[in-house]
Order: sequence, then C-alpha cells, then structure tokens
Amino acid sequence: MSGAAPALRVRRLRKSFGSVVAVDEVSLDAAPGEFLSLLGPSGCGKSTLLRMVAGLVEPDGGQVVLAGEDITRVAVHRRNLGLVFQSYALFPHMTVFENVAFGLRRRGVGEPRLGPRVERMLELVRLGPLGARHPRELSGGQQQRVALARALVTEPKVLLLDEPLSNLDALLRDEMRVELKRLQERLGTTMIFVTHDQAEALILSDRVVVMEAGRVEQVGRPEEVYRRPATAFVARFLGRANFLAGTVVETGPTATVVALDGGRFSVVAGPRSGLVVGQRVHAVVRQEVIRLERAEGTAGRPNDFAATVVFHAFAGQAHHYVIQLADGRELEVAAPGAAPALARGSGTHVAWSPDDVILLPAGAAGPGGAR
Amino acid sequence: MTPGSGWRLLAPALLLLTVAFVVPVGMMVPTSVRPYVPLVGITGGFTARYYTRLLTDSYYLEIIGRTLALGLTVTCATLVIGYPVAFFLARTRSRWRSWLTILVVFPLMLNLVVRTFGWIALLAQNGLVNQALQALGVGPVKLLFNFAGLLIGLTHIFLPFMVLVLIGAIQNIPRDVEDAARVLGASWGSAFFRVTLPLSAPGILSGSILVFVLTISALVTPRLLGGPTYQVMSTLIYDEFLARLNWPAGSAQSLLLTAMVLALVYLSSRLARRTGARA
Repeated sequence: MSGAAPALRVRRLRKSFGSVVAVDEVSLDAAPGEFLSLLGPSGCGKSTLLRMVAGLVEPDGGQVVLAGEDITRVAVHRRNLGLVFQSYALFPHMTVFENVAFGLRRRGVGEPRLGPRVERMLELVRLGPLGARHPRELSGGQQQRVALARALVTEPKVLLLDEPLSNLDALLRDEMRVELKRLQERLGTTMIFVTHDQAEALILSDRVVVMEAGRVEQVGRPEEVYRRPATAFVARFLGRANFLAGTVVETGPTATVVALDGGRFSVVAGPRSGLVVGQRVHAVVRQEVIRLERAEGTAGRPNDFAATVVFHAFAGQAHHYVIQLADGRELEVAAPGAAPALARGSGTHVAWSPDDVILLPAGAAGPGGAR
Repeated sequence: MTPGSGWRLLAPALLLLTVAFVVPVGMMVPTSVRPYVPLVGITGGFTARYYTRLLTDSYYLEIIGRTLALGLTVTCATLVIGYPVAFFLARTRSRWRSWLTILVVFPLMLNLVVRTFGWIALLAQNGLVNQALQALGVGPVKLLFNFAGLLIGLTHIFLPFMVLVLIGAIQNIPRDVEDAARVLGASWGSAFFRVTLPLSAPGILSGSILVFVLTISALVTPRLLGGPTYQVMSTLIYDEFLARLNWPAGSAQSLLLTAMVLALVYLSSRLARRTGARA
C-alpha cells in the first residue's frame, strides 16, 4: 500500500433499490497495480458497487475517485475504465477484431495505429489468428479472452471484472485464473474483481474485501481473511470450518482456554487480547488443520480427542471425514488425499494446534453449530 | 426426436395451409385465364388478357404502384413511430409498464369498422382535424379519399403489430452489451446506433414484413377511407369479384398480389439469413 495515491478510492458509497439497501456506506482504496477482490454471496452488493464505480448505476451518495479525480458525476463513457462482464457482453454483429477495436475507435484512434494495437492485444490474450471470426464461432474461454482484450486495449487506469470466470467450466476456469493473473502482472493494471468464489478470490488477489448485506465485513490479504477472520460470516464464507460454542474460562499470555458447551471438553487457543473470562465465544477450527492420528502416545496435549469415523469420502486432493467425539459432537475433517483412508467406524484421535484456533465473540451473528 | 416426428408436429399447420391457402389459390389459376363475357359470364377458351392488361394498362399500374407505395410508407411510419415506443416499453422498469402495453394494444380490441368511421369523423372536410387546422389559420386540407387518409388510418391500425414485434426484439438484446459499449467510450447515441439498432434488425425486419403484408392486403380501411374511387389492389379485387362479377380478372389480380407478397417474404427471409449469419 506504500505512499502512492490510490488508483481508485471509494468513499461512503451508498445505493438503495426501493427499501433494499444494496450498498451501505462502503469505503475502499485500491493501490496502483493492485489486484483487489470483492468477495461475497449473491446479493451482497458487490456487483452494484462495481457498477457504481463504472458509472452504470448512479449512487445515492458517496464518492468515486479515480487517480485523484472525482468521477462520481462523470458520464459512463468518459470514465476511461475497463469492464469485463460475466456474460462477456461481446458485440455479436462484429468480428473479434472490431469488438476489440471498438473502444479505440470511440477514442478517435486512426486506422494506421489502430490495427497494430488490436493485433498486439489479440496476441497477448493468445487469440492472434481469430480476429476475423464472429463471437458465436468461439468457445466460452475464447470469448472471455476477447472480452478481456476489448477492455484492456484502451489501457484503462482500472479494470473492473464482474464474475468474469463464473460461466466457464471448472478446468477452463483454473486455466483462465492463471492467465488473468499473469496478464495483470505483465500489464500492471489495477484490477477490481467481483466474485462469489472464495478460492478464486484467495488465489488471485493481493487483498480481499469480504462483503455481506451491502457492508464490508473485512479487508485483508488472503491469508489474513482466511486465518484471522474478523467475523463469523467471514470465517464461514471463506472455507469450511467447525464452529464450537463455549465460554472463555482462562485468558493469559500464552493461551486462552474455552470450555465447550456440554461441559466435557475444552479447547486451547493461542493468546488473544480483547477477550474476558466468562465471555461467550465460538472456537472455529478449519477442517484441514485437524490432524487424524493414531491412538497411542498423544495423551496430555491440548486439543487432542479420541474420535470415531462416521463418514468418509475421497475427493482426490483430500479425504473428507466426519468424525464423532466422545460427547457425540461431530467435526468435519479434511485430510491430505495422499494418506491412506480410514474406514468408517474405525477409532482415531483428532488434534489441532492452539495457533490454528480462531476465536470469535458469539454475537448476534452466532452460527448454530458446526457446518 | 425421431426423424419422422418433425413432420408429425408440422402436420396440422401444413393441413390448414393446404386447405385454406394452397387449394384456393391454385383454383384461381385456371379461372384467371378464362375469358369473361359481360351478361354471359365465364366462357370456355383461353386468354392472357387479364394479365397483360394488369401489367400494361396505366390505370392498373397506378393502382399497383399506389398499393406498394402505401405499404412502404405505412411500414416506415409505423417503424418510426413504433420504435421509440417499443424501446421505452422494453426498457422501462415503471410499474405502469403493463398498462402502457395494454394501451398500445387497445386499438386492436375495437371493431375495425368503428375505428375507421372514427377516422372519417376526424379527417373529413369539416372534421375535427380540419377544424383545428383552420383555427390555426391553415386552410382545410384534403385528408379523406386520398393517400394521406389511407396512410393515417392504416398506420394507426397496424402500429400495435409493429410495436409488439419490436418490444420482443429489443427485450432480447442483453443490457450488458449496451453497457459494454458505453463503458468502452460510446455516448448514448453512438451505443444506440452502433449496437442497439443493429441488434434489433431481426425485429425491424419481421415487424416490417408483417405491416407491409397487412397493409397491401387490407380491405376495409382503404374502402372506407379511400371511398369508391381511390382504389388499391384489395379494393380493386373486391370490386372485380363482387361488383363486376369478373372472376377471371379478379383472380389474375389476386394471384399478382399473392406473388408480390410471397416474393417479399422470400427476399426478406434471405436477407434475414444473411444478417443473421453475421449477427
């Protein structure tokens, strides 16, 4: 984030549709060259926010500042932004070349300079020989590349992407992710990327903005939002996790101890500030930080429980287990796929490090248990 | 779907088309080449005189030309008036939208003869329109029993068809595509003429064919607003069959009108396929 002026700054942006508040006083900064994701479930306001930045939706209040210039009241076609749509939104009656040339022509770029720029951009997205085709003659992935080329050829200060990969099948999506990231690193364009796919946001982003119900829940680097979620919503949305309700019974410089409801077990977490003894909390344990171990020689360590496997499924990269503790409570566990499988009904031990425990005050948004 | 089932699905429509169109039109072919003798009727023998008269006599050529000109003008008028209406109705999020659509369709619910008499009352020499014009200091304008009267009446009657077809076509254009043009630097007008209008071409084409065909075959409105002397092809055919009882001449005229319609539909479907292949 250095001292550089933000490429894009959003200040207290607001938008309601009737009685529904779509975007509620959202403020954000994107540094030059940053890849910033807006992550959230459908209806959280992320697309509306993006469209307000683009100028397609008029905000009820707030400011959009592009490279130091207030563009809140600037017409869409004068903002010099790029926008890539989930539907690609290519011009079906124009060739690939004409699609890409569209923005340059609107800016009055003359024919002699236009051709080479379009060709170079088509090369960059690996569509070199397809310029004469029409969009309907291309595959989904190729259409998406045309959309990218069309948005990037005018060298916008900021490229906005509205779920651009959601219409692609899984394999192609992985491929396009890599391609998008490399394109961004090569061109240094600031990108604002809207998605509901947490894996996509984590993989691509420099920073992730997690949104819910029109508000920003948390902004942080991918590891921050994943490992140190600020709210139960963020913890839940960014990956499967076990929510264990309990009460803080001990705080200290080395550990925080939470007695789980039911009275039989307690969970040890690392030291946390801001928690007091007697406070209701959720101990959140991600399914992949739980180790499955042999029964012997593990007694006495914190967060170590005898358990029984009640469900197993193999998913290639991982084994998915549901295990049951002695008090009947069930936990979801993801173990590395390379390890041998544990049969349903077999006894085992589960253990996790105190550092991997996320403690969240049990507030109004308290979850109803493990999921 | 098995290979044969397509035909089975088409069978009812094909049967109707055969009984109601192909057979009657086919039956007119032999009639159109029989000589008609006044007071005697249709006689045996062969003559091509009804065709040659139709294509050489200036009286008939004028009627054919007038019919085509009327079709073209009414089509253009409904397009120019109807496109903005259809665009608004396709795009508005107003809760009045369905009421406005009903308002567009409403004229269709009134009897054609009643509507046409309404226009006579409005367009007559001392009708409302001319009274208003005279109040503004413009002398009475002849709006009845001439091209202007037919143009006004037919445009009014066929406007809903054009609007309905265009609404469908404009609704089919994804908003994203227009938004993309705007973000890429196109002003509203530029985005409209470079993206929206070309993409509504299929609707413009089908709406135009519909209105053109309806116009050149309309009978009641041209008869009432054109009077007995200002003829178009359909009123001419009507008189030939029912007033002069000259079935052969009427048949020849009907076949020419049918041929014109079929040629138009064929040409425009080829045009649609060409633009469709590109779009």
